[in-house]
Amino acid sequence: MSIQFHTPVRFKMATDQRPEHAPWRDPSQISHARSFVLMAAGVLIGLVLAGYSLFTARSVSTLIVPAEDVALVNQQPISRADYLALLQTLYGVDLSHATREQRHKVLDDMIREELFVQRGKELDVAATDPDVRGALVNAVELEIAENAITSQPSEAALRQFFETHEDRYVSEGVMRVRDLVFPVSALPELPSEAQALKRAINDPPTVARLNGRDSGKTKGEEFYFAAKIHLGDELFAAARDLGNGAVSKPIQTPDGIHVLDMQQNKQPVPFGYAAARPQVVSDYRNQAVDRLKSSGESFLRRRANVLIADDLR
Amino acid sequence: MRFLIVLIMASLLAAAVFAADRYAARQLLRADPDALPADAMLLRFAVRRGKPLFEARCAVCHGASGTGDPATGVPNLTDDDWLYGTGRPAEIERVIDYGIRSRNPKAWNLAIMPAYARPQPNPADKNIQPLSPRDIDDVIEFLMRRQGRQADPAAASRGAGLFTGHGGCYDCHSIDAKGDSAIGAPNLSDAITLYGDGSREALYMSIAYGRQGVCPAWINRAGAASIRELALYVYSISHPGAIQNGY
Repeated sequence: MSIQFHTPVRFKMATDQRPEHAPWRDPSQISHARSFVLMAAGVLIGLVLAGYSLFTARSVSTLIVPAEDVALVNQQPISRADYLALLQTLYGVDLSHATREQRHKVLDDMIREELFVQRGKELDVAATDPDVRGALVNAVELEIAENAITSQPSEAALRQFFETHEDRYVSEGVMRVRDLVFPVSALPELPSEAQALKRAINDPPTVARLNGRDSGKTKGEEFYFAAKIHLGDELFAAARDLGNGAVSKPIQTPDGIHVLDMQQNKQPVPFGYAAARPQVVSDYRNQAVDRLKSSGESFLRRRANVLIADDLR
Repeated sequence: MRFLIVLIMASLLAAAVFAADRYAARQLLRADPDALPADAMLLRFAVRRGKPLFEARCAVCHGASGTGDPATGVPNLTDDDWLYGTGRPAEIERVIDYGIRSRNPKAWNLAIMPAYARPQPNPADKNIQPLSPRDIDDVIEFLMRRQGRQADPAAASRGAGLFTGHGGCYDCHSIDAKGDSAIGAPNLSDAITLYGDGSREALYMSIAYGRQGVCPAWINRAGAASIRELALYVYSISHPGAIQNGY
C-alpha cells in the first residue's frame, strides 16, 4: 500500500485562459513566499498596534505625553485643562496670549506641586496632618457621591419625591399683627367677648385708661419665622390661628396681659410641583448623595479590619 | 487576487481614517481652546463629534436644541447672555469640566441666591439676614425700574436702599444690578431671566425662596477630548456664524 500525498491541483476552467501569474500572485496556489510576507506583515501590524497602545494609553503611557496632558511626572499626568485654568487664574491670559515665561512658570509650579504631592504620599502625611485628612475625606465623599450629582433624576422620580415630602414645599406664612400689653390689674376690666375686646383695644382712650400700650414687638408685615422670634412661642401660637381682623383672648405672660389684634394673616400655602421643582431636584439629589455616602461608608466598614482597644469596646 | 487587493486597500483606508481622526483629536486637545473657532476644520471636526455627546449628556436638562427652560431655571445656551464668563470656549470647557455648585472643589461654587423668606437665607453665610415681605416687594419694584418697566417710585427707592444696603444684593449682582459673570451672578437689569417669566411673582419666588441650580462636573466621567468637543459644540450653537462653509 502506498501513501499518496495530496498535491494541490489547479482546475483549469473554460474562463481560465488568461496568462499565467507568478505563484505568489495567484491566490489559488500555495506560495510560501506570500505566506511568509503576509505573516510578517501581520506580525508587524500587531507589534505596531501593541506598541502604540502600550506607549500612548492613558495611565500606562511611558514615553509620550497624552494630548490631554501637559506633562507626566513619574507617570502621573498633569491635566491640560488644569494648566489652562491656572494660566488664566494667575495671569488672566489664555494659552495663545501667554508669554513663554508665563507658560513655563505655570508648568514649573504644577510640576513642583505634583512632586510634593507624590512625596507627601510616600511620607504618608495623611497620617498626621488633619488638613490633609479632611481634604481626603471630602474628596472620597465626592467620589462616592458623584453618580448622584451627575445623573439627572427622572420626572417620575421627582414627582414621587415631591408627593412624599409635600409638607416641605410650602410658602412662608405672613402676618401683620398688633400686640397690646396691659398690666395684670387690667384683666378684670378687659371684655371677655371678642367683638367688645376688639372695640376696646382699638379705642385709644380705653387703652390709655387701662394702662395698655403696643408692645412694639412686631412691625408691619412679617414672615411667620420673624413673628415667632418677635412674639415668642406662646404668643405666636395664639396668633397663628387668628383670622384676618380677629383678636385673641387675653393671654397672661410674666410681663403682663397680651391681646393680639390680627390685621392680616396669610397662612403658608403649599407650592405646586412646578413651583417647587428646583427645590425638589436639589433635595432629591441631596438625599441620593447622603444615601450613597452612607452605603459607601458601610462598604468601607465591612471590608475593613478594625480592632478596638479592650477598654473602649 | 482582486479580493486581497480590495481587502488591503480597505484596511489601509480604515487605518488612514483612524489615523486622521486620531490626529485631529490630538490637534484639538493640543490647541488653545480659545483659538479653535479660527480653525474651521478643527471646529467642524469637534462640532460633529460634540453634537451626539450633547444630546446624550446635556440635552436632558438643556433640551436637544440647547435653549434651556426658564420654568426649571436651566439656562439658554444658544443666546449670547452668559452667566459664567463671556462664552469663550475655555470658559465653557471649564464649566463642563468642573460644573456649577457640583461639589467639585474647582466648580463655580461661590454664588448662591439666598432664600430671604427663610430664617437663615444662606446657611453658608450667616451675615445674610432675612428680609420682610415688604422689603422683598420693594426690591422687586427696584428691579422693575432697573429693567425700564412700570414700577412704584417710592417702593423702588426703598428697594434701591435695600439692594445696596442690608439686603446685600449688590454684593453679587453689583451696585448697578448688572450682575457679575466672574461668579455667575445674573444681570438683573435686562429682560433675560433665568427663572420664570420675569413677572413680579417669579421674582418674588427667586428672592423669597432662593435659587441654586446645579450643573454636574464631567471631568471624571468624560474624556478630555469629549469635553472639548462638547465645549465647542456649545460654542457653535451660541455663535451660529462660527462655522463657515455650512456645517
